[in-house]
Amino acid sequence: MILTAVVLLPLLAAILTLLLPREEKALIRNFGVAASALIFLVSLVLLWKFNTKSPDMQLGIQLAWVKTLGISFHMGVDGISLFLVLLTTFLTPVAILGAGGAVTKRHKEFVAAMLVLETGMLGAFVAMDMVLFYVFWELMLVPMYLLIGIWGGERRVYAAIKFVLYTMVGSVLMLVAIIFMYLRFHELTGVYTFDLLEWKRMILTPAEQFFCFGTFALAFMIKVPVFPLHTWLPDAHVEAPTPGSVILAGVLLKLGTYGLLRFAMPLFPYASTKLAPYIAILGIVGIIYGALLAYAQKDAKKLIAYSSISHLGFVVLGLMSLSIQGTEGAIFVMIAHGITSGGLFLGFGMLYERRHTRLMSEYGGLWKVVPKFSALYLVIMLGSVGLPGLCGFVGEFLVLVGSYDHHAAAVIQGVPVTLPHPKLMTAAAALGVIFSAVYLLVMFQKVFFGPVKHKINLSLRDVTSRELGAIVPLVVMTIALGIFPSPLLRRMEPAVKQHLAEYQVKYKASIDVKKARRAKVLSRKALRGLASKLRTIKPADRQKLRPRRRGKAAAAKASKGKWMKKTFPSRRLGNLPGRGARRRGLKGSAGRRGLGRGRRRAPIIRPRGRRHGMPQPMRGGR
Amino acid sequence: MKDLSTFSQLLRISPIVLVAGWALLTLLVESFTRNKESNRSFVGHLTLVGLSATLLLQLLLLGKMGPKAISLFHGRVLMDGFAMQMGMLFVVGALLTVLLSPSYLEGHDIDFGEYYPLLLFSVAGMMIIAAAGDLMVLVIGIETMSLPVYALCSSWRRKAASQREEASLEASFKYFIMGAFSTGITVYGIALVYGATGTTLFSDLVALGPEAATKGLLVVGMVMLLGGLGFKVAAVPFHMWTPDVYQGAPTPVTGFMAAAVKAAAFAAMLRVFTYGFGTKELVFGSNGWASILAVIAALTMLLGNLTALWQSNVKRMLAYSSIAHAGYLLIGVIAAGNPSISAEARSAVVFYLWAYTFTTIGAFGVIAWIGKREGREREDVDDWAGLARQRPAMALAMTIFLLSLAGVPPTAGFFGKLFVFKAALANTGLIWLVVLGLLTSVVSVYYYLRIVVAMYFKDAPQQEPDIQPMVSATSRVALFGATLFVLLVGMYPTSLWKHAAKALMGL
Repeated sequence: MILTAVVLLPLLAAILTLLLPREEKALIRNFGVAASALIFLVSLVLLWKFNTKSPDMQLGIQLAWVKTLGISFHMGVDGISLFLVLLTTFLTPVAILGAGGAVTKRHKEFVAAMLVLETGMLGAFVAMDMVLFYVFWELMLVPMYLLIGIWGGERRVYAAIKFVLYTMVGSVLMLVAIIFMYLRFHELTGVYTFDLLEWKRMILTPAEQFFCFGTFALAFMIKVPVFPLHTWLPDAHVEAPTPGSVILAGVLLKLGTYGLLRFAMPLFPYASTKLAPYIAILGIVGIIYGALLAYAQKDAKKLIAYSSISHLGFVVLGLMSLSIQGTEGAIFVMIAHGITSGGLFLGFGMLYERRHTRLMSEYGGLWKVVPKFSALYLVIMLGSVGLPGLCGFVGEFLVLVGSYDHHAAAVIQGVPVTLPHPKLMTAAAALGVIFSAVYLLVMFQKVFFGPVKHKINLSLRDVTSRELGAIVPLVVMTIALGIFPSPLLRRMEPAVKQHLAEYQVKYKASIDVKKARRAKVLSRKALRGLASKLRTIKPADRQKLRPRRRGKAAAAKASKGKWMKKTFPSRRLGNLPGRGARRRGLKGSAGRRGLGRGRRRAPIIRPRGRRHGMPQPMRGGR
Repeated sequence: MKDLSTFSQLLRISPIVLVAGWALLTLLVESFTRNKESNRSFVGHLTLVGLSATLLLQLLLLGKMGPKAISLFHGRVLMDGFAMQMGMLFVVGALLTVLLSPSYLEGHDIDFGEYYPLLLFSVAGMMIIAAAGDLMVLVIGIETMSLPVYALCSSWRRKAASQREEASLEASFKYFIMGAFSTGITVYGIALVYGATGTTLFSDLVALGPEAATKGLLVVGMVMLLGGLGFKVAAVPFHMWTPDVYQGAPTPVTGFMAAAVKAAAFAAMLRVFTYGFGTKELVFGSNGWASILAVIAALTMLLGNLTALWQSNVKRMLAYSSIAHAGYLLIGVIAAGNPSISAEARSAVVFYLWAYTFTTIGAFGVIAWIGKREGREREDVDDWAGLARQRPAMALAMTIFLLSLAGVPPTAGFFGKLFVFKAALANTGLIWLVVLGLLTSVVSVYYYLRIVVAMYFKDAPQQEPDIQPMVSATSRVALFGATLFVLLVGMYPTSLWKHAAKALMGL
């Protein structure tokens, strides 16, 4: 109920905004800020009601929407989406408040568009029904298009249309895959449904997985954007007004990585495992390429846009590493990047309002003129660089740990190996961290240090109280998340573990399906017989069916991990293998630690009810 | 089978009779009141009454008799769920058109008395098409529908001759010549089918079974029918007439042609191909129509959408867009060729047609509504600049219609596409068509957005006198109703789907 309220309240507020008198600009703006701030407060209830220990979808709602097609109004949050929801509700009031002089006309439409956009984003984060997700996904498109197109810069029409077309190309192909899966699910079970949790029980054949994963991944990778698909982003960012940029960088891009994590990977584990090396490499290329291009920019907004490409490369790498640290780190980077890049855009927007230029060479020496603003901007900039103690550090560090230790983690957790040269790849990604320090510090230096080069800059006003209201929350969050990451990580952990455990089970089941096809059990009828048989096999038995070599390092590793567990009570690092374990354990399973621990406590397929429990793998295909 | 009594047979087709009779009535009333001031609006209102009565009668019949199929006049007419559902669609489309017409006709000072009677005759023809149980009845229906529409295209008559009138006449003439050709091809095709089988009754054709595919003459006739009907739905390569005719015709008539006439042509296609020629061998066999139609559908979607990109005239752009939509609908027709899902696919097409009818008539309604500038219609994309400023409600309505045409949720057009593509994907051979359809629909977003760009992102020229919209209470009602329908169906498609699912064909 509370979740539905959070998602639909912005829409209600948008309608109310449209009823306000057009002339009352201040009233409209204040109403927008107040309404979205109120929604943020309501969304905090989610945090309060959220069960930290549970890995499942919570606070959900499920109503029939289009019964004939099996479309339901199904929403829920888990540890993965909870903070993205909060990030959205947090950034929207900040963005509306920070709009300032970037929006000089049609205030009413602006506030309404921002609020509709908020509903679209929130809905996409919590939708558990594929059509519902698609509807919200497309719903985001229209207000963002209007934001860029109406309030944007000179080439706004070009940028707006490019943004829409890029996104649409990906999403319609995804729609084909959605319908395809829907029909396949019906073929296997006789039930028409678009419900994600139901779909997770289905295992497609490798070829089908490649097709579906390809379309899903394309849609999401355009949104992220991953390296060769990124060209719409700089245009959109440069032309978008400040609040548009804040939301675009802060939340919209995360929908791409969120989609990979929520839909593409769990639904098609086989294909995503096989393609993960390439996607991870694209992520790394994005990290370095984005950083290099950012360094080369003269236009500060473009610099920040390219830095987004670089930072989101870490998210992709973390997701593809399939380790607990990597995945948690990826989610953390999403949150942290939302705050810091939102802050960077917001802060620069404030400068832009004063000077109406985005060129860094037009500034210089601003620290002397606007010291308060400079100090605040410094914190956000350092947060984006990834200075330890600020929010950018935690996520990127976890991602690097996860990818560095990928092989060992894969052995321990039983997930497939996806990164061919983890250490080399981590080293390459770590370069990106250094680069990001370079380009952001250079930017800061150009803008804030040195002598005041242009006389006009001497008369710049320092931050107004309105601007303080927008930027201070971001600064506070930058510091707070850097010092106290564990409240977030603790809540993510169960869901991430479950994600990886499901992934592993489904991956193995996909291999079974593949083997069955190889072994000439090709007829669909035979395969279906196999599927129904396998469905009833408990996972413990399946372990017996497929004996695996076991490393003897489990005990050694367990004792090694103990001190870490004491130091890091979240047990996150407790899963790290010791050195010896890695050396010896690489050949076989290093025991049942880590994810396995959870398995020992309870079987992987927990009889917790059909919808919210772990997936009952169900195979099929032809 | 024992036939029903003449009276009950007539009762079953009473909606058709009512519309045709009402057309005659309005014609008489019009000619007797020609010189009176209130004449035009009075005939318009009379037409509204007639169409509403027809709609009521249809609902009553549907309620009383249900969607059960009944064969009338020795199988020449099939009053099944499909015929009734499509009949209602035509009447509703005509109702919307009639609601939009008066302000346009008055605003442009068009004096064409037969406007409303012709519209009604055309609707009667459409209803005959949907209920045809025989190829000859089908041809009668097509001609009854088309001839009035040819005349309607040229209805731009004024006391003083103008270029606009010439364009209207040219459109009409082109349409007539091309239409006559297509009828010729259709009739020749029917003759060949008759030569091969000795019958023109659909039920007899169905009874032939797999044997039909072996008759070469029948296959040739079938392909000719495909061409003739392809002309009516404006499928590539039979689409040439569409842009000129749609641009030249008075805008409400264009909306009527793009929506109702197209829907009727699709009714004919579904009737002929998925029912008459619906045996598996004729559909998917080596001589089957499915493969030909698949190529036509692909070309139609590609050419329609790509050509629309370059248009600067909004009516012409929407004409190409309507060609593209014919392509999407053809996918549904092909899907309906598969007997195991034909009922569902047909319903999907009917659903799409409902969504499309409201959207298209709505969009053309807004074009008609925004009036004229310096004596000409505001048809160029540039004429739409700044509309969102001056008329926010109209701009919003147009945006919703355009989004629905593009298939963006939550609008009716999205679910139309979803239903059709879902049906198509059940045949694995059609995946490529669906992918192509979706990709071209992305292309379509570009040109639909051009209108949105003009309305929202550009400012009206300074010297612009305020818009002289063609407002009337009735056109407001029509546009508001269409917008509401598009949005409501987009949010809650279940009830319309249930309605469309009753469009069962055959006995």
